[in-house]
Amino acid sequence: MRVVERLNAARIVAIPAAIDAATWPTGALAFRLAPDEVLVTASTPAGVIDDAHAIVERETGFSAVWVDSAQAIDFLERECDWELPRERPAFAQGMVAGLPLKLWFGQDRVLMVVASPCAADLAERLR
Amino acid sequence: MAEFGGQMAADSLLTHLLRDAGVAIGGGCLCLAGDCPHCLATVDGVSYVRTCQVTFREGAAVTLHAANGQLPPLESPGERPPVTARTTHCDIVVIGQGPAGRVAATDARSVGAHVVTLDAREGQDVIGVYPGPLVVARTEDGMRHVYPRGEIVVATGASEIQPAVPGNHLRGLVTARAAAELAASGVPLGQVVAVGTPPDGIVCELASGTLVRFEPSSDPTRVGAVVMRDPGGVETRLACDTVSLGLGLTPRDALLRMARGMNVRGVGDVLLPAHVPPCPVEGTVCPCAGVTVADLASVHARGFHELELVKRATLAGTGPCQGAGCVPHIRAFLAAQGAALQPPFTARPVTRQLTIGEVAAGAHHAVTPRTALHEEHVGLGAIMERLGGWWRPWHYGDVDAEYSAVRTGVSICDVSTLGKMQVSGPGALALLEHLYPVPISTLAPGRARYVFLLDERGYVIDDGMVARESDTRFNLTFTSGGATFAEMWVRDWAESLGADVRLMNQTFSLGAINVTGPRAAELLARAGVGAPPAFLHHGQADVAGVPCRIYRLSFTGEVSFELHHAAADSVRLWHALLSLGQDLGIRPHGLKALLKLRLEKGHLIVGQDTDFDSSLRRLGCEWAVRLDKPAFIGRQAVLRTNRLPLDRQLCGFEMDGEQTTSEVVCRTPAEGATIWDGEDLAGVVTSTTWSPTLGKSIMLGWLRLKDGQLPTDVTIDGRTARRVPTPFYDPEGRRARG
Repeated sequence: MRVVERLNAARIVAIPAAIDAATWPTGALAFRLAPDEVLVTASTPAGVIDDAHAIVERETGFSAVWVDSAQAIDFLERECDWELPRERPAFAQGMVAGLPLKLWFGQDRVLMVVASPCAADLAERLR
Repeated sequence: MAEFGGQMAADSLLTHLLRDAGVAIGGGCLCLAGDCPHCLATVDGVSYVRTCQVTFREGAAVTLHAANGQLPPLESPGERPPVTARTTHCDIVVIGQGPAGRVAATDARSVGAHVVTLDAREGQDVIGVYPGPLVVARTEDGMRHVYPRGEIVVATGASEIQPAVPGNHLRGLVTARAAAELAASGVPLGQVVAVGTPPDGIVCELASGTLVRFEPSSDPTRVGAVVMRDPGGVETRLACDTVSLGLGLTPRDALLRMARGMNVRGVGDVLLPAHVPPCPVEGTVCPCAGVTVADLASVHARGFHELELVKRATLAGTGPCQGAGCVPHIRAFLAAQGAALQPPFTARPVTRQLTIGEVAAGAHHAVTPRTALHEEHVGLGAIMERLGGWWRPWHYGDVDAEYSAVRTGVSICDVSTLGKMQVSGPGALALLEHLYPVPISTLAPGRARYVFLLDERGYVIDDGMVARESDTRFNLTFTSGGATFAEMWVRDWAESLGADVRLMNQTFSLGAINVTGPRAAELLARAGVGAPPAFLHHGQADVAGVPCRIYRLSFTGEVSFELHHAAADSVRLWHALLSLGQDLGIRPHGLKALLKLRLEKGHLIVGQDTDFDSSLRRLGCEWAVRLDKPAFIGRQAVLRTNRLPLDRQLCGFEMDGEQTTSEVVCRTPAEGATIWDGEDLAGVVTSTTWSPTLGKSIMLGWLRLKDGQLPTDVTIDGRTARRVPTPFYDPEGRRARG
């Protein structure tokens, strides 16, 4: 069974313009969950967001697993009803295998992100 | 391999059975196109397999179904792997790959379209078209879900009309196209008589006149002759081994009609006008359900004149072929009774019999989330239950000890399942003032307040805490089961009001451990928190090295500190607390003990003790609403309903009992027990437990007022119970305040 590991990240809720203007640490992936919300795979200092009322929190409530592209596509063809993005890299989110997943499509692999309370179910369904 | 229609195809199972195995198939008129029920068999444990549509495979276990609608024997298919469902998105889907379907696919591809073709003869049996649009096909490799962005092209052709005359149950009857295919496949047909359009490439005797009946040969199950009648009424008997029946075509258009309103187009024979055969006068019309012409006449005489009603009255068309065989004849019958020609049955998915595995393909049961401490609970021997939408520890094996640890020492409880939301922004205060029926502006930073959430009708939808962090920042909690709805409620109102706020749901992000009991503060001191927050205060502190927001609340009735922390730190914090409290007799408590503890305090649980129309007045919680607030959701409803006489109220009850420990099967009434006031049904018990501390059964329940008064003594479970004020335990709240 694949190991779906807890993600050490930061989550930010702020006005969309502030998120648009933000820059993220080198190497970090930033997933735009909503116009006013972003999940960054790095510890992000509050200063990067130009919004005095922004909520910037350490986020450990998500877990993730990298899956080889071919295996990921095979899994997604079986378990995902919605159309996957064709360009790379790409971010998408929606129900997959009955779980709310966030997907990062890299060139050779796919990062599957799920709320940690459902991580065991993702591991089970990835078998 | 056999050649037909210009194509090479692998032998079907049916062809193999007829030609190589010499199996007596049928009876009834074989069509070799998946339209009739006459070649159905149980193959490797799966019933209703159309043997004409599946490829022959060596070693397959085949049991032919009995004719005339008899159910196949129920066989266990044995252990099978789950059926998968594969999804494809395309521009155009073409259903059917006969000549018209192939042209349609080629044309679409020539303009660069991504085309998916599905053909039953290639093992892709489309079973339905759904809104989406979504085309679902059954294949030998599992289910296939195809989402076309553009057109659905239906090229399913036309089926051949089946005979509806006496003797149509005999073996040796085939449609004209089937006769040609069987001959091409090397199946011996013997002496063939052709009725109607003759088959291609077969030497046969042509029968003229009207088809009257089939007669058996010396083998009573097999045809030996066909009887025709000329216009003068003279019958002619033609001896034969096989009868080829070219009785006309009817469009195979169920999928086309099913997709009506979608971007769908038919091509080829599926657009043919339906041939209407002569009105049947005798014999079986629907071989699947065994419906005869006499049955049709019977239901017609009783007033069933619509095709859909005849279907329901006789069950014609409800069998494996879904009306492919009988509909032309029933339409002809009804038209002959004087009605206009009626359209065929309403087309709905599914068009074919599916296995339960195929129906379930791609489906998953709903997820029950687990807290970060799930494995810790399991490791401690907890009995895990689904509660409030989460896996939670019900108990750890000794409920009395868990209860006792809270009342006399210190205990911890995983309350990570609580809904948690952070609200920030210039509009945060105004939003919360609108959401809650008590003032929020009077809440100083560092303070927390217990609050109810009301809907527009003034009824309770959830409860929880509001904790103020700063002038513009608040933390909210909700019930475990109500958190998702509460989040939507807050977001909807924030949007409706145009509130300048940022909302972050932290339910999954934050763990929460409740440290409770008279020695809770002592445990926190050992964990490095020398000055924990006062009652209904909160603050930030490191607990055993874990950054936490500590809320001083109480649900158990004892001193309690709720430690909210990053979920990644839950296990470390849990271990540290258990270790530091070892000599204090610390032990975790599960939900079973918690429910007992909270009931002693008279705390209600929204969803269990409340109903869909529970106002704060009915709950006896009028202290939780401030009508001098100028505006909040539900205010007008509360003002209006307060003018009405109170009809029922949530009350506390106690009952003397014989139980001494909670492990004894108690005589405490069960939740849901009815409450009687004399002979009158007066209410229902919503929560109940045996209180070890009080030595009696205690309950919450709804009680109706009689003549404006609540009865004092009632009967529950045949015994007297007293209505008493709550809390049952420590009514002054001294223990919780420490």
